Amino acid sequence: MSEVVVIGAGLGGLMAACELAGAGLPVRLISQGEGSLSLSNGTVDLLGYAPDLVWDPLSRINQIAPPHPYQVIGSDNVRRAVAALTSHLPDGYLVGQASQNQLVPTALGAWRPTALLPASLAPPQPKDQSRWLIVGFDRVKDFYPKLVAANLSRTKIPGGGRVTAIPVRIDLPDNPGLPGGDVSAMTVARAFDQPDFAAAVGRQLAQAAGQAEADAIGVPAVLGTAGHDAWRQVSQAAGRPVFEIGLVPPSPPGFRLNQLLLARARQLGVRLATGARVTGFQANQGRIVQLTTDAAGHGQTYEPTAVVYFPGGFESGAIAMDSTYNLAETLFDLPLAGLAPVSQLISPSYSPNQTIFQVGVQTDKAMRPLTDGGEPVYTNLYAGGGLLAGAIRWTEQSGEGIVLGSAMAAVRGLLDGIGQDLEPKLAAAHGRRTQLSSSHPGQTPNWTDGAP
Amino acid sequence: MNLSPTLAGHALARASLDACVKCGICETRCPVMAATPLFPGPKFVGPQAERFRQGLSVDRSLDYCSGCGTCTLVCPQGVKIAELNAQARAVMKAHHMPLRDRLLGRTVLMGKVMSPVAPLANAVLRLGPVRALADSVVGVARQAPLPVASVQSLGRWLAQRGRSRANGTEVSGPDDQTGCEPDAVGRESGAAKRGQVVFFHGCAGAYFEVETSIKAIEVLEYLGFEVLVPAQGCCGLAQQSNGLFKAASKSVLKLSRALRSAGPDLTIVSASGSCTGMLKHEARQIMGVDDPELADVSYRVRDIMEFLAELDAQGELPHSFQPVDATVPYHAPCQLKGQAMGLPALEVLSLIPGLTVTESGQACCGMAGTYGLKKEKYAIAQKVGAPVFEVFRQAGASLGLCDTETCRWQLRQGTAMRIEHPVALVHQAYGLGTCLATD
Repeated sequence: MSEVVVIGAGLGGLMAACELAGAGLPVRLISQGEGSLSLSNGTVDLLGYAPDLVWDPLSRINQIAPPHPYQVIGSDNVRRAVAALTSHLPDGYLVGQASQNQLVPTALGAWRPTALLPASLAPPQPKDQSRWLIVGFDRVKDFYPKLVAANLSRTKIPGGGRVTAIPVRIDLPDNPGLPGGDVSAMTVARAFDQPDFAAAVGRQLAQAAGQAEADAIGVPAVLGTAGHDAWRQVSQAAGRPVFEIGLVPPSPPGFRLNQLLLARARQLGVRLATGARVTGFQANQGRIVQLTTDAAGHGQTYEPTAVVYFPGGFESGAIAMDSTYNLAETLFDLPLAGLAPVSQLISPSYSPNQTIFQVGVQTDKAMRPLTDGGEPVYTNLYAGGGLLAGAIRWTEQSGEGIVLGSAMAAVRGLLDGIGQDLEPKLAAAHGRRTQLSSSHPGQTPNWTDGAP
Repeated sequence: MNLSPTLAGHALARASLDACVKCGICETRCPVMAATPLFPGPKFVGPQAERFRQGLSVDRSLDYCSGCGTCTLVCPQGVKIAELNAQARAVMKAHHMPLRDRLLGRTVLMGKVMSPVAPLANAVLRLGPVRALADSVVGVARQAPLPVASVQSLGRWLAQRGRSRANGTEVSGPDDQTGCEPDAVGRESGAAKRGQVVFFHGCAGAYFEVETSIKAIEVLEYLGFEVLVPAQGCCGLAQQSNGLFKAASKSVLKLSRALRSAGPDLTIVSASGSCTGMLKHEARQIMGVDDPELADVSYRVRDIMEFLAELDAQGELPHSFQPVDATVPYHAPCQLKGQAMGLPALEVLSLIPGLTVTESGQACCGMAGTYGLKKEKYAIAQKVGAPVFEVFRQAGASLGLCDTETCRWQLRQGTAMRIEHPVALVHQAYGLGTCLATD
C-alpha cells in the first residue's frame, strides 16, 4: 500500500500528518503513546531569547548564530507552518503573530515571550497601573496567587511602569466531580466543562474583581478540557477579561490543543496507530522500504513510500546514551552532530545549558538526515523537531518554532520529491489532493497551492 | 502471595517502572479517573504505589481500575501501567476473591447452561426479582446489560451446515429480520482457493454473539478460505481481568493447544476482539505465561478486521463491495486498541462505497470486560460510557459498530441502537445476505 508513515505524535508529527493528509496523501501516524503536547501550555514559541529578549522572532530566525536548526529551516517555513497550524484549528483559537512576540505571565509571576498562544492564555496588553486580580482556586496545586502577584507587581513592563497585581484565593463551588484533597489540574478542568460550574465561578470572580477594582483577572489554566467554551462562559459571567496562566504538566491548554489536532487528523483520514513503538526497519537501495512495530502478538509491518520522523530528542528517548557514554539515535542509527566527551555534554551544575541537548541529526533543506559526507542517509526519510542538532530549545524558547518549521520543510521536501523518486501510485494519490481549507472556511489554503 | 518470584510478567512490567517521569499523560486519558473521585488514577496506583508494594497490597483504591489499558497505550515512556495494576490487583484479591468475580470468569459455563434453553434463560435473566437477587446476593448490578443467549449455538450451526452440505441442501446464512436475499454471485465464489485458516470464536462467539461468528466465517469463505473450527474453550480473559491468574493460565494454554490442533502455521482469525487481545497480549504481558504453544498462537492470531486489512495491503482483498449508503458510528474497544495495531476496521470499512463511519474517539465504553456488570462499578461504567453513547446517538443512525461482545451489550443498552461487529457490514457489502444499514 502506498502510504506515508509519520512517526511521533507530538506537535511536529501531528502537523506533518495533517498537512500530508490535507494534500491528499494516505498517511499513517505511529506513536509510542501520546505526544508531548499535553505536557505543554499550548503556546507557540518561535524564538524568545537570542540570547537577549527577542521581539521580532521571524526576522531574527534568519540571523541566528550557527550551528542551529533554523539555518536549515529558515523563516519562510516557520511563517508557513504557523499559518498552516492556524488553518487546522478553529477560527480565532490562536492569537498573536509570528512576526511579533508578546509577554505573558508565568505561574511564578515572571513575564515570558511567546509569539502565538491560545486565546484563553492571552492577557490584555499590560499597562502601567493596570489592576490585575490574580486568583488562586482551592485545591489547584502549583499556583500561588501571592507569589504570582508579588513578582508581577515588582517587574517593569515594556514601555515603563508596572502592573498592579492583587492576589486572592477563591473556594470553588461544591461539585460531585471535584473531590476534596489531592486533585489534578485536569480534574478541576473537567468540572469547568459543566456550564453551570463555569458560570458560578465567573460570578465569584466578578464579585472579587469588583471589590479589588480590577480590570482583568488571571486564573490558573484549568478552564475546561475541550476548546474555549468554558473560558468564554467564565469570562462572560466575570464581566471582565479573564486569562489563564499556564501550569506545570500535564496542562489543560496543551491537552485541548492536542485534542483539536488529533480530531483534525482523524477528520483528514490520518490512520492513527497509538501505543506501538517502531522497533525495526529495512532499507533497499538507499530507501526505507519497511518498518516494524512492537504491537502485541506478531508486531505490525508497514511498507511506507516515505517516512516522516519526529520522535523528539534525548528527552524523549529518540537519542540515548549507553553505559559507556556513547550517544546514538535509537531507530535508524542516524549520524549525530555535536558529539563531545561526556564531561562537555553534561554539566554537573543545575545550569540549563546542558549541551547534550544540542546533539542531534543534521539535514538537508528537505529535512533528510545527512551522512558525514553530506548525502541523505535515506532518500525517503525526513526528520525534524527535537531530533535536530544545534539548539537547546528551552533556553532560547524556540521549541514550537523548530518543530513546526521543520515539519513544514519536511512536508514540502516530501511533496517536491513526488514525481522524482516516489512511487507513481503515490503521485497519483497526490493528484487527488483535497482542499485543505474545506472544513475551515475563511482560511486560505497554505503552501500546498503553489509553493515558490 | 508475593508476585515477584512467581510471575515473569511482573518482573517485566516492574522493569518499566523507572521509565515513569510522572508526566501525567495517563491521568489526562484515564476514563475512570474522569468519571469518579474513588479512583486516584493510573499513575498513583501504578508506578507510584508499586514502589511501596514489594509484593504486598498497599491501596484498595486500585480495585476501581477498570483494566481498560488506556494508560499503557498513551504512555510515551513505555511504562506498563495497566499491567502493573492488573498484577497488583491479583495479589490484593488473592485471599478474598468474591464469588461473583469467580462466576463472571466462567463464561463457557454460562453459555453452555443458557444456550440449550435460550428462550427460558433469557427470560429468566430479564425477571426483576431474579436480577434483584443477583444484585444483592452475588453483586451483579441489576441494571447491567447481560448477554442474550442465542437459540442456536455456533457449534450447532456448523454441525447442521455440515450435514446439509453432505446431502446437498445448504442452509442459508444468518437469520436477518430485515431479510436481504443472499447475492447468488457472492455465494458462487465460496470455493476454497486460498488455503485454510483457523477460526477462533471465543465463548461469546459460540453462545451469545453467534451471528457475528457466522458472518465472519461466511466472509472468509467468500474470500476463498477454507475455515477450520476446531473444538475450543475459553481464553480465560474474564478470569484474568478478575485476578484469577491460575485458572486463566490454564484456560489459555488449553485453548492454545486446541487452536494449534487444526494445523501448523495456519493463520488464526477471530471476530472476538478482546479474546484476541488476551492471546496476543494479556496472557503474556500481564500473567507472564511463558509457553511456546501460547507464543506460537499469539504470533499467528489476527483480529478479523486486521486480517482483512492485511489482505488489502497485499492487494488481495476484492473491492467488489456493493454500496452501503449510510453513516454509521463506530467505537474501537479499549482491548482492541491495546493491541497497538491502529484501527483496521476503519481502514476496511473505508473501502465500502457510500459508507461514512464516525469514530467515537473515546478511550472506553465503560464495560471493560466485566467491570460494568459489577454492582459497585455499574454507575461508574455508565458514566465512562456516556460520551460514547452520545456520539452514537448523535450520528442519527439506527446501527452502530463495535468489535467486542461485552462492549456491544453495553452500547446496545446505552443507546437502544442495533450494535454489530464491523464484519457485519463487510458481509452486507459483499452481498452475503445481511441487510443492516440503509438510509
